[in-house]
Amino acid sequence: MSALPSVSTVAERPLLKRTVAVNRQPGRVVLQHLRDEIELEGAAAQLFSKMEAQLDGKTPVDAIAAGLKETPARLRTLLGQLEKAGVVSLLSANDDAKLTTGMEFYAIHRERCLYWLEDVYRHPLWEKIVTGKASRAQVLGFAFEKYHYIEAAFEHMGIAASNASPEMMPHLARHFIEEYTHGDIYRRGLRSLFPDDIILHSQPLPSTRALVNYLNECAARSSFAYYAGNELLQMTENTGDSDAGKSVDDFYGAMRKHYPYTDKLIDSFIAHTKADQALGHADAFVLMCESVPPLTRREVNDALNVAKNMAEHLVLFMDGIDTFYDRFATVPRLPCDLKSE
Amino acid sequence: MSISHRQFRAKRVYEVTPRGGQRELRLSDRIVELGDQEFDWYQKVRSWLPSIRGLADLSKDLAMDEAKVPKFLEALEKSGLLYRVESPDKPMTGLEFHGAFSGILSSWLSEAFEHPFWERMMSGRGSARLFTGWLIELYHYTKNANRHMPLSCAQSHEKPIKQLRAKHYAEEWNHYHYFMKSLKALGFTEPQIADSVPLPMTLALSNFMRQAARHDVLAYSVCSAVLEGTTTDRGTYSPYYQKSADLYGVPQDAVTPIFAHLDLDVKYQHSDLFRDILETVPVMPPERASLVLDYGHQLVEHIWLWTDNIEKYYQVDSNLVPRRPFDVVLD
Repeated sequence: MSALPSVSTVAERPLLKRTVAVNRQPGRVVLQHLRDEIELEGAAAQLFSKMEAQLDGKTPVDAIAAGLKETPARLRTLLGQLEKAGVVSLLSANDDAKLTTGMEFYAIHRERCLYWLEDVYRHPLWEKIVTGKASRAQVLGFAFEKYHYIEAAFEHMGIAASNASPEMMPHLARHFIEEYTHGDIYRRGLRSLFPDDIILHSQPLPSTRALVNYLNECAARSSFAYYAGNELLQMTENTGDSDAGKSVDDFYGAMRKHYPYTDKLIDSFIAHTKADQALGHADAFVLMCESVPPLTRREVNDALNVAKNMAEHLVLFMDGIDTFYDRFATVPRLPCDLKSE
Repeated sequence: MSISHRQFRAKRVYEVTPRGGQRELRLSDRIVELGDQEFDWYQKVRSWLPSIRGLADLSKDLAMDEAKVPKFLEALEKSGLLYRVESPDKPMTGLEFHGAFSGILSSWLSEAFEHPFWERMMSGRGSARLFTGWLIELYHYTKNANRHMPLSCAQSHEKPIKQLRAKHYAEEWNHYHYFMKSLKALGFTEPQIADSVPLPMTLALSNFMRQAARHDVLAYSVCSAVLEGTTTDRGTYSPYYQKSADLYGVPQDAVTPIFAHLDLDVKYQHSDLFRDILETVPVMPPERASLVLDYGHQLVEHIWLWTDNIEKYYQVDSNLVPRRPFDVVLD
């Protein structure tokens, strides 16, 4: 007989998720989590307010109910709804043993990544380029850094394929083989303004290097976590739906208008996006998630932390272009040698 | 004689200061003065050099007769602002390389620490929060030495260099405790700090050091030397820590461990390590010397962006301090 309690007999300890913001208004409570708002009114709002302080993940439901002179069943009804809405977790001793299927992970990953990417889309550099306020160094720097990032497929995708777990190997091999030439698409655009040898010898910003090195380190350590992070980056390219596609078109349109010399560069950006879409990379991660064995909480957290860090590195990538090229306006950046210093 | 943009490259200018209708351009070894028009021409030459545009285009940009452009480029070369790419460099000894590195280190450090953050902190426009953020990231950076220092030993092939790198690691590996002590004096608990997550640029520094360690142990060592260069004497950092403590009410207990750490670095003479390593290198081909130098300068740029990342994150009051990892159940 197992010494472990079954799920139904484990005391559940409700936790208001750490990322939930609680806004109180007369007669109602609004819970903000990721991109959602959950509104509680009347009795539900009152009951939530009564128990909020004890939603600390340490107190069992029955103990909270006893303290509030409420029935556990009433609390459980509300807590069940809040759990479904994603704002409360019902912690139990079994949490660490619970496994998440690849497809469950896919759904969680997508929801989180869309939220984490908001900081990238809100970055002020986009607005500067669209309104023509970005300097020549920032605009050309943007093109060079995109080139360096795409060209780095040789590094991180190569490392990923050569360190792949058995179930991920076919996906990572295919991804490398399909992507390693994409840097050349950007290089073609840059060649409208710069000689080939200068482009090939140019050097990325530390912030772009940071993004590439982070991918490299993840690729060597965990195939699945690496791809969970890479997928977040891929989500910014797979503009399959019409709204996102229109925003991208508008961005390039404004860039052509304010910076006519970037015409060929923009052609290369668009050619790359189309090449990615034609390869069906949007589906690659679903296929991977379908093929991985169920994941432990530790594995889920590892992969999601990599994805979150990747979003932060992407913000850093944008920041580097915006801030560094504003302060140090040399573009392209060439490596130093014995005479340059 | 025909002349083309492929023959020249621009020397690094560390600072441009307007002074009485002129501009002073600070190079590592001299100051060059240019009038307004010359400065404008110089900037046009700089952006023309790496481009595909021909001499006729430059002549148009400068509104200068095409025949006169080569003379102007040569004048810029003579002043030290341009140099010729094709003149070959000779191999040098490790110690000769150290001499060249020492000659530019102070210019590099001035570039690394010219970020406005420092002036802001020293002039009272900073905050205790920014001071704390800097300390947290220093804690992570110092702890992450364990990700790159032993790797540099593993990737070294020469016994004397392996030995020197290993000794350095043995002396440094646990120095993050000094920053933990400081942070505890600021009211944080040990698990809060130990379980926290560094900023991306803090992680980037140690990832870059790992990249250098895998590439060439001298490339790694120059990065280490740039960082140690900031702690050669107490005069470099002490004013920042002491003044911040005074301005932002930082308890002395939070500053004392930092000084103890700086003193230990001086005691171990870590700033001499690069020289000791280079002493064992009989010859450096110019390609290797350039590669090593380039790693050093990339590290300088990393420090600048690291500072920027710290300022941008910690100046926002709503951002979490310290940063915690994501958990699928708790978040």
